[in-house]
Order: sequence, then C-alpha cells, then structure tokens
Amino acid sequence: MKKQFKNIIWLPVLALLAFTVQSCDDFEQFEPAGANSKADQTPPMASFSYSQGQGDGEVWKDYSFANLSTSATTYMWIFEDGTTSSEVDPTFTFPGEGEYTVVLTASDALGIESVFSDVIDVVEPELPEAIVPEILEASFEDNSLADGSGDGRDSWRNSALGGVIQITSSPVQNGSQAAKFPSSGDRIAYQELIVSPNSDYILTYYYTLKTNNPGSVTVSVLADGGHIDLAAALAAKIEDFEGTDQTSSSDYVQGNISFNSGANSVISILITNQGEEARVDNFSIAAQ
Amino acid sequence: MKNIFNNLKRIIGISLVLFTISSCEDFLNPEPTSATSGETFFKTKADFDLAIQNMYDGIAGLNSTQSNDNHALQVEFYVTEMRSDNTETKASEGEAAQFENYTLESTNGIVDDYYRSYYDVIFRANTILDNAAVLATPEPYEAEAKFVRAYAYFNLVRLFGEIPLVDRVIGISDTDIQFTRVAVSEIYSLIENDLLTSISGLDNTYQNRASKAAAQTLLAKVYLTQGINYLDAQTLCESVMSSGFTLESNFKNIFYNELNNEIIFAISYVSDNSADSQNFSAEWLNAVGRTSGVNYVTADAALFLDANGGDRTMYSYRIDSGQPTKKQVVKYLPNGDTGLGIAATSSNPVLAGNDWIVLRYADVLLLHAEAILAGGNTTTAQAALNSFQLVRDRAGLTTPVTEITRQSLLDERRAELVFENHRFFDLVRFGEAQNVLSAFSTATGGSFNATDLLLPIPQREINLSLGQLNQNQGYN
Repeated sequence: MKKQFKNIIWLPVLALLAFTVQSCDDFEQFEPAGANSKADQTPPMASFSYSQGQGDGEVWKDYSFANLSTSATTYMWIFEDGTTSSEVDPTFTFPGEGEYTVVLTASDALGIESVFSDVIDVVEPELPEAIVPEILEASFEDNSLADGSGDGRDSWRNSALGGVIQITSSPVQNGSQAAKFPSSGDRIAYQELIVSPNSDYILTYYYTLKTNNPGSVTVSVLADGGHIDLAAALAAKIEDFEGTDQTSSSDYVQGNISFNSGANSVISILITNQGEEARVDNFSIAAQ
Repeated sequence: MKNIFNNLKRIIGISLVLFTISSCEDFLNPEPTSATSGETFFKTKADFDLAIQNMYDGIAGLNSTQSNDNHALQVEFYVTEMRSDNTETKASEGEAAQFENYTLESTNGIVDDYYRSYYDVIFRANTILDNAAVLATPEPYEAEAKFVRAYAYFNLVRLFGEIPLVDRVIGISDTDIQFTRVAVSEIYSLIENDLLTSISGLDNTYQNRASKAAAQTLLAKVYLTQGINYLDAQTLCESVMSSGFTLESNFKNIFYNELNNEIIFAISYVSDNSADSQNFSAEWLNAVGRTSGVNYVTADAALFLDANGGDRTMYSYRIDSGQPTKKQVVKYLPNGDTGLGIAATSSNPVLAGNDWIVLRYADVLLLHAEAILAGGNTTTAQAALNSFQLVRDRAGLTTPVTEITRQSLLDERRAELVFENHRFFDLVRFGEAQNVLSAFSTATGGSFNATDLLLPIPQREINLSLGQLNQNQGYN
C-alpha cells in the first residue's frame, strides 16, 4: 500500500519534469532574434527613375522622381546639397547645370535597408536653332567648291529635269561669273538643300532679262529632294517668284522668296526661264 | 512450299492489323459535316467578312452586367478617364473607386476585364491573319486585322507597360508566349509594322471600321507617344488632313450626328438591341445603369472647362439633376437632354446606341500641332497655328493664337477631348502625368504614386502563369 502511494507521488513529478523539458523547446521557438531566427524573406530593393521638367523658363531644373523600390515601407532621399525627403516620389529643383548624386535608402519594418544612388546630369535643353543651309556655287564661280574644284554649275545639274545652264562673265552681279539661261527655255538649274522642318527662311538672289522679247525667269522652292520629273517637281512647289523686270538687260534686280520648310528636312531650288534669255547670280539663304 | 504459304499468311495477317489501325484513325477523327470548326471554317471571302465583324464585336464588348463577360471598350473609361483628373465615381465605393483613389489592387475585376478583352480582340485578329493565306488576295483582310491588332496593343502597352507579345493564334501549351512579358520597344515595333501594312492596304471607305486615315492617325500618335519620328508624324497628319475630313460646325453634333464628317474611326452600337448596344452611357448617369453613377465629372475638370471650354463646355458636362452637387458627362447621353436639345438615342437607356468615337479630326489637328512642336517648348510655325486655331475657332475662341506652348496644347486637348478617354494618355505622353496627378490626388485625398501610371497585371493571369508573369512595381 505504501509502495503504491509512493508511485502515485512519483508520477506527477515525472510528468512535471517532462512538461518542463518540453516547454523549454517551445520557448526557444519564439526567441525573437539570434542564431535560430528566420532571414527576411523579402528584403527591400531600392530603385528610382527620374524625369526632367519640360516647359518655359527654369522648369528644366525641376526633376520628378519615381520610386521603383520593392518590399519597402519607408524611404529617405538625400540630394547632393544635403536636402532630405521622406516622400515616396519627391520633386527636387537643382541649382543649375552639373552632375548631382541622388541617394535613396529604402527600408522595411524589420529595419533592413537597401541603398540605390544615381548621378544625374542636369543640362539646360538647347533651343533648337534652324539649320542655315549652304548653297554650293551660289555665285556660279569657278573652283568655288570646298575642295577648290567646280566649274561654277556642277552643283546645279539635273539632266532629268533639263539641260545644264551656261555660264556668263558679263553682266554679273557678284564675282566674275553668273548663270545664263538661253531664250529657248530648255535649261534648268537645280540644287537640294538640307533645312530644319517647319522653319521660316528667306532666299535672296539677283536676275536680269534681255529685252528683245517678253520673258521671265522663275525660281521655285520645292518640297523634298530627289526630283526627276519637271511637272511633278513644279507640283511640289512650296513657294516661287517669277521675275519679269525687263527694264534693263544689264542691271540686276533682287528677288526674294520667303517660305516655310513645312514637313521637310530637304528642299530643292529649281530655276527655269521663259521667252527670253535670263541671267541669275549671287544666291543666299537665311533663317528668319 | 509450305514455308512460303506460311509466310504469306503472316504477311496478310500483319497487313490486316496495319489496315485496321489506320482506318481507326479516320474513324475517330471524322470531318464534321453539320457543324463548323475553327480548323475548317475559313474558305471564302464571306467567311473572312464574318471574322472581320467578329473583331469589332470584340472591341465593342458585351452589354451585360456579368463580371465574367468581356466588356472591352465599355469599361475603358475606368482604366483611362477615371485615372485622370477628369472623372470619378459618384459615391466613391467599391472597386470602381480604386481608380480615382489610386489604390488599385491586382485583383481588380475591371482591370482584368479590360486585359482579357483586349487579348481576346488580338486573338480574333490573329485568327484572320493565320488563315488569310487560303484567299487569293488576302491583303485587304490582313491590312484590316493588323489595324485592329495594333490598336489593341497600343492601348495595352500604354496601360500595362511590358506585356506578352502574342502575334499568332497560340494553343494551351504555348505558355511561354502567354506568360512572358517582352520589352515595350518590341510591342511598339509590332504596332508600327502592323500600321504600315494597314496604311498601304486600306482606303477611306469606312468610318466604323479600319481605314487608311485611321491607321495614319494612330501611327502618328504611336510616334509621338515614343517621342520619335516627329516629321513622319507630321506628314501622316497632313495626309489625313487632305483626305476630306472636316470639323463638325456644331460641337454637339460630333456626338449626336453619328458617323459625321469629323469621325475617323468609331465603334458602332445599335440602340435597343441587347446584342449590339452598350451600357456605359447609362452607367454615367445617376443610378440608371447598374452602378449608382460612375465617370462623374471632377470639380477640377468642371473648373477647367468653365475657364477654357468656350462653346464646348455646355456640351461637355451638366449638373446632375438628381444630386445637384454632382456633375455628369454630356457627351454620349443615352436618354437625351431637352434643355440642351439632345434627343434620346434609345428607348431603354441601358441598351444605348451611342457610338464610341476612337479617333476624330480635331484630334488629328492637335496631333499635327504636337508633331510640329516636336518635343520642344513652343512653336510659332504657321502650319501648327492654323491647325490649332481651327479647333479653337469651332469652340468660339476666335482670338488669333500667335504661339503654341506645350502647356497650351495639353490644355486644348483636355478642353476638346475631355471624357473621350484621351486625358490619361495625353498626360503621360506630355511627361506631365506625375506632376498633374500627384497634385490632383493630394487635393482629392487620393494616394497617387509614380507606380500608379501603370495598371497592375491582373492577379488571375499571374496565378494562371504559376508565377511566371511578374507584377508591375507598386502592386502586390
């Protein structure tokens, strides 16, 4: 009987011991930090992109930042001058042109941090200025090409549109030579120029006509280049000027053509004459 | 001798077995004679004409309130206009309010609806393209299918960013194509190639189907969106401008005189016809449709229109007579407005017949000015001023404009094309989306972030891909 009683006492003691050992294991499972804790499965990854302000005045200094970080809850932006921001997508105005470093630190609620930095090259956008094209052999002079060659009309040939012009040495408006278009009207001058689209230009030249028969000389500005058919070329006219001043066969008269290049990065100049011998000299072009 | 006989028996026996096996195959795969199947459907031009209609049906979407149906264009205002500063829900409730609050979840059913609808449209176009070879002259059908495919991809790529590129009919096992997101530039190169094919293969016969002018306008917009080929964009616009389109003299008639001369591409709906009508017109009213009212006009948009709309304002928004603190869109009303002289377009407003205008001439004129601006800040080019002035003159704003700035052009597009699903894309294209929408969201208590400029890839797609598709940044 006494033995039985002893056993009854021992059982709860053993059970208590077993429980204690067991609960120690449980306890360790919930230990907050240490060798047995799990790593952050989705650590933050910092990243951003940016865009420059577009508009008038100083807007080019204003940059908008787009936060592309993942798995983060708080952000710290540091700009080169020490300014900080904790916004998700901040904006920042740089003092002027130059290279600036921007640092973004993204962190999650476990305190894990990720740092991303980028160097931003702030440049004021240049105002696009219209290309001023160069007219080759603009005054029909010999050896006036860049390499010192040329017969004064090499840059003006287009045999698909008409015969090559002749060269005259008197009268001239500039230099020692001018272009000559015989009265038969079957010769043309043609040259393609590279221009800025949608820009205003003024083309200036000088002409004179003989006075025996009524006649004229027409300078046309054509859309695009590559013209190989006279009718189609004239149909692509942007602007033209028909010179009809026959007051004197030796005095030159100025011709001006104002035009807008429209949706073209190339335009062509085409010169034709009608009814009487014509002379043309000294072309120039300017952006307006 | 006996040997030979035995061999003969064996040969006959084997042949018999072979014959049985091969005839079994025929027996098990009979050519259906009483029903059509996708594999045998396409034979004549008439079959392809049906398939062409099927593409536009896909864009038009179903007039239903079942969330599992494809509503396509009929829910487009949620994913575009309601993410801009133009519109909001009336009650700010449910998943529809996630758009205006910039709190979209990847489980949003409307985003999923739009995504799967437009991939369904792409499937319909690809079906034509894959079968067109049976025709003697497949070119017109290919040109039309490619326009529709380009249109669908252009919307998807602007809304979701990198997306799967499906350029043929794919099967259930083509999961690599279905679930691989490709670079935005690859999507744009498909769009550009498709539109170039459409431009050379189409004429201007239709306004409610693909046309040359529609493809030219879309390609100009594709170039401007990428900030490339400004000169080509200008030439494309100028080609449309010499194709006989004109501005409707009365702004109201753009919307209530269907297929008028200003329309370049519209999706047609038929009123009081449950199969071919639309319900978005009713949804925009006060509890006429299923919702209590969506695509309501924001205070910001109303103020803007009051200041900049000219004659357009009264035909753009009105006070909600049922709730006078709220404002409704006037474009696309299904049940008319006697005060404004607008007749009802259907006897049942949830079976509305108002066409949806995708592209119209005023858009082309403003794109023309944008192409000439060519990414710059200002232009005084006469051609740009002329196009810009035409749009303003029609609105009664006849003071001559002497200079166009980026801001004035963006504003003019908002005033002219408000509530036509352009605003969000315009803001992004002009690089102003983050500035404008974060200020708007701050004022309205929303939570806009830069990552809200792209929609989430629908969670359903990500689940189907078993994790192969990755989510856009800013979404879980």
